[in-house]
Amino acid sequence: MLTIINANLITISQGNIENGKVVINNGKIIDLGADIIVPKESKVYDAKGRYVTPGLIDAHTHVGIHESGTGWEGSDGNESADPLTPFCSVRDGINMKDPAFESFRKSGITSVGILPGSTNILGGTGLALKCKDVVVDEAIIKDPVGMKVALGENPKKHYGEKRSPISRMANASMLRESLLKARQYLNKLELKNDVKRDPLSVALLPVIKKEIPLIIHCHRQDDIATAIRICKEFDVSYRLEHVTEGHMILELIKSENVHCCVGPCLQYGSKVENRNRDFKTAVVFEREGVSFCLTTDHPVVDGRNLMLTASIATQWGVSDEKAFESVTLAAAKHMGVAERVGSLEIGKDGDLVVWSGHPLEFTSFVDMTLIEGEVVYDRGIN
Amino acid sequence: MLMVKADIIYTVSGDPINNGMMLVDDRGKIEDIGVDLTVSENCEVLDISDKVIIPGLIDAHTHVGMWGDGEGRDSYDGNEYLRPITGEVRAIDGVNPMQVSFEGAREGGITTVQILPGSGNPIGGLGFACKTWGKVIDDMIIKDPTGLKGAMGENPKRTHGKGFGHTPISRMGVASMIRDYFEQAKEYGKKKNLANQKGEIFDLDLNLESGWMALERKIPFRIHAHRHDDILTAVRICEEFGLDYSIEHCTDGHLIGDHLGSKKITAMVGPGLSPSTKVETANFTDANPALLAEKGVNVCLITDHPFLNCRYFLTYGAVAHKYGFPFDETLRAMTLNPAKAIGIEERVGSLERGKDADFVVLSGKPFKYKSVIESTFIEGKQVWKRDII
Repeated sequence: MLTIINANLITISQGNIENGKVVINNGKIIDLGADIIVPKESKVYDAKGRYVTPGLIDAHTHVGIHESGTGWEGSDGNESADPLTPFCSVRDGINMKDPAFESFRKSGITSVGILPGSTNILGGTGLALKCKDVVVDEAIIKDPVGMKVALGENPKKHYGEKRSPISRMANASMLRESLLKARQYLNKLELKNDVKRDPLSVALLPVIKKEIPLIIHCHRQDDIATAIRICKEFDVSYRLEHVTEGHMILELIKSENVHCCVGPCLQYGSKVENRNRDFKTAVVFEREGVSFCLTTDHPVVDGRNLMLTASIATQWGVSDEKAFESVTLAAAKHMGVAERVGSLEIGKDGDLVVWSGHPLEFTSFVDMTLIEGEVVYDRGIN
Repeated sequence: MLMVKADIIYTVSGDPINNGMMLVDDRGKIEDIGVDLTVSENCEVLDISDKVIIPGLIDAHTHVGMWGDGEGRDSYDGNEYLRPITGEVRAIDGVNPMQVSFEGAREGGITTVQILPGSGNPIGGLGFACKTWGKVIDDMIIKDPTGLKGAMGENPKRTHGKGFGHTPISRMGVASMIRDYFEQAKEYGKKKNLANQKGEIFDLDLNLESGWMALERKIPFRIHAHRHDDILTAVRICEEFGLDYSIEHCTDGHLIGDHLGSKKITAMVGPGLSPSTKVETANFTDANPALLAEKGVNVCLITDHPFLNCRYFLTYGAVAHKYGFPFDETLRAMTLNPAKAIGIEERVGSLERGKDADFVVLSGKPFKYKSVIESTFIEGKQVWKRDII
């Protein structure tokens, strides 16, 4: 049992608590507040007035599958021999010894979504895990969190010179046909037992049954609209990733109540489809009440800059409160893991970060990171 | 005439001036700077007494205007990479001043950039320095050329060896080609001088002409080198040929800081905030600027735009400062140091009498998240202003 006392708690879900305490037992927050009693048997850590936030969360990364400093040998995020590989799972490509995980812990990131890349129209399933130094199977929060889909330039650039998809039309038609096949396959399964196994359709069954969402890479406004169109046609759940031009088709996004993972905003307009990359997307989304989290898309922007991304977002007009939420609770909601992580609440995991100064300040350090009550990084400041 | 009144003016060349005033003449030059200056009758006044002013930032290693930001492959003009030795190409011929990256630079408080060819070739071509506002690149130039670009390590190997299957395939090949280039340039230069002395006709070779300029120390050799051994190879070659040089990126510099410090080299450190996407950048650390400066290396911070979007240059400074780069030195590494390293310090890099009135208006002291860039001025003229979204 551990109690952090004398902390300036930024709970995300219940405002800020000055001079607060958090009690963690068996990896879970069992109590928090200003006036709570420290259990006798508990170890005590004095935060000395420092800020404490929930562990940061980046819902869209490629940590462990696009490894830092290793070149092609450590690049396992795209099974780019075929545009339709829904049967792949990132879990089979994650190297937990990627140095980026250590860097994430130092940066206060405790949970990440790891997704296949965006070369394939159907790239495989992504998952949510803790940035713990353990084998991947022990770090999982939720697997799968969804099926990765990519629209726009990436699939057509990779495949287009030799085979389909050559155009955005084929990106859409190949996705449509796959979903149609899977739905028909499910219909057949319900009618008879001896249906010939179709690996693509099998992999898509959880999507058709609405057990997992499609997680759709889309930058340009028309790609976003295509994503929504197809998901509505097939009545499947979905989340949108990047959504660079989302603010340009605000009414559609609002009317469909879409949850968006916006970013990586720190990048430049590396492609035509993301030429309008800007923090404007986030600013407009906050103002208009669209649900969104911010992402680094590590390693596109290095994940250690997640909090920095939130800080810069405030410089362009996002509120401090929304900035905090966008790298914690909103990211947890985006992945459907908010019952465990994303805020300081009784019953949630004891994932906490102690900061040397205001967490949004560029020059503040992470002094200590805890995952499920265990110290996973300590800067050595008491 | 324009009189600017601010809460603090960071001149960089001297102490910060509280309640500072700066008089800008009609040519866009700083006529006077200090406190309690007299405001003449017909002088326009920019009263921003609650704001902070810093010199326009200088990013000494960028590919602004030549990397196809948001335009795709059709606008990639940074590497003439079919041949490994292209001393004849000039960055200025590949830059589009109306490209969005120039606006990004102004948004980021950058008023001067050095634009260099990319790092696909062991000898990449000539770079130049310009202001970040204008329509015609020739009118924006401060100095051209400002250096000959070279590259060590993975990029030339990947571009040529892996990409085209021709030399250079290895780091040895890269070094030998650079050596051979300067040997040829040396021969060329001797012949040229001899011909000039004798008054004989001499055919110019634009490729070798660039190398000869570097050998005559009219321009420095600016060498892309990340890994520590690449940095050392670059230094070795430059010393062999007696070149002025700067090490571009210098990512592993912190591993050999004593050695580099003893030579007082100039390092263009960045791109900041970077991921370690290559093997040669595996040892990237945000503390590199501080660690190098501590050892006596002359540090300039760079975005290497687009690799760090130049809009976020000032945040890179904040992070370098966080990891131990002292405040004054950090600001200098984004202003006066690069101005000197490019050889344009008589015009830009600090707020002093006689220099260009290039400055940035901040809502508070630099490197704080509540301090935002509110507007950017080049030669006394506002070239960007923040709008509320």
